[in-house]
Amino acid sequence: MADCQETLNELERYLDSELSDARVAEIIGHLKGCTDCQGAYEFHADLRTVIKTKATNEELPDGFLDRLRDCLGDDVLGDD
Amino acid sequence: MGAREDFTNDAMQYAPQLFATALRMTRNKADAEDLVQETFLKGWRAFDSYQQGTNLRAWLFRIMTNTFINKYNSQQRRPQETELDEVEELYLFRRMGAFDQSKMTHSAEDQMLELFTDDEVKNAIEELPETFRIPVLLSDVEGFSYKEIAEMLEVPIGTVMSRLHRGRKAMQKMLYEYAKERGLVDESLLDPQD
Repeated sequence: MADCQETLNELERYLDSELSDARVAEIIGHLKGCTDCQGAYEFHADLRTVIKTKATNEELPDGFLDRLRDCLGDDVLGDD
Repeated sequence: MGAREDFTNDAMQYAPQLFATALRMTRNKADAEDLVQETFLKGWRAFDSYQQGTNLRAWLFRIMTNTFINKYNSQQRRPQETELDEVEELYLFRRMGAFDQSKMTHSAEDQMLELFTDDEVKNAIEELPETFRIPVLLSDVEGFSYKEIAEMLEVPIGTVMSRLHRGRKAMQKMLYEYAKERGLVDESLLDPQD
């Protein structure tokens, strides 16, 4: 099983889904028995969700998709 | 023509994601729209080289990232790895005790949703130097793997990991500073041992 230091060091890669299955099992094993590391994990998982949600909260400008289709359409005509 | 019709229909579903990331890259709407249009045009023209069944979304983001780096960043191709201050590990986590509890609600995720405004999160990303901003966008916001990001940026995986690590810490520090500016933080609450 991983210890606290190893778990915190690998938290980022764990959240990024970049660890091997065996390593994930060790990290999960540690998190189950360690409330401090579990707290750190939950904090960073929540932070990731918040960043993703807020950074992508954008409305497309009016007519954006139409202009995008139009620019491809123009390219086709231009090739003829 | 059929394959290209498919391209338009398939690619269009990714337009909103591409626009949101383009906006964080270019930091203004007009340039972001231009960047997405250019990405679609390049994708459309290069569609013969796209292999059916591979990841169209990753392919489009790769085109967009390269276009951005080449077009909007030509004056600054050389990565400046040293332009971020070293920030300690678990920066924000270690400071959560300083947030005014009376402004907090129940779950940690709800707390964070309320603590940081949309603009603060967007600014924290946009303030990152480009070398760090692009990997953070591609990972935290778009969820690409280290390998995919390494291919998009044409750098080793270890470089992606180090830029993500440093970029994320710098972003946490900025979020903390924004919260401090809005009076949400009382640093006397922090355990001096932290």
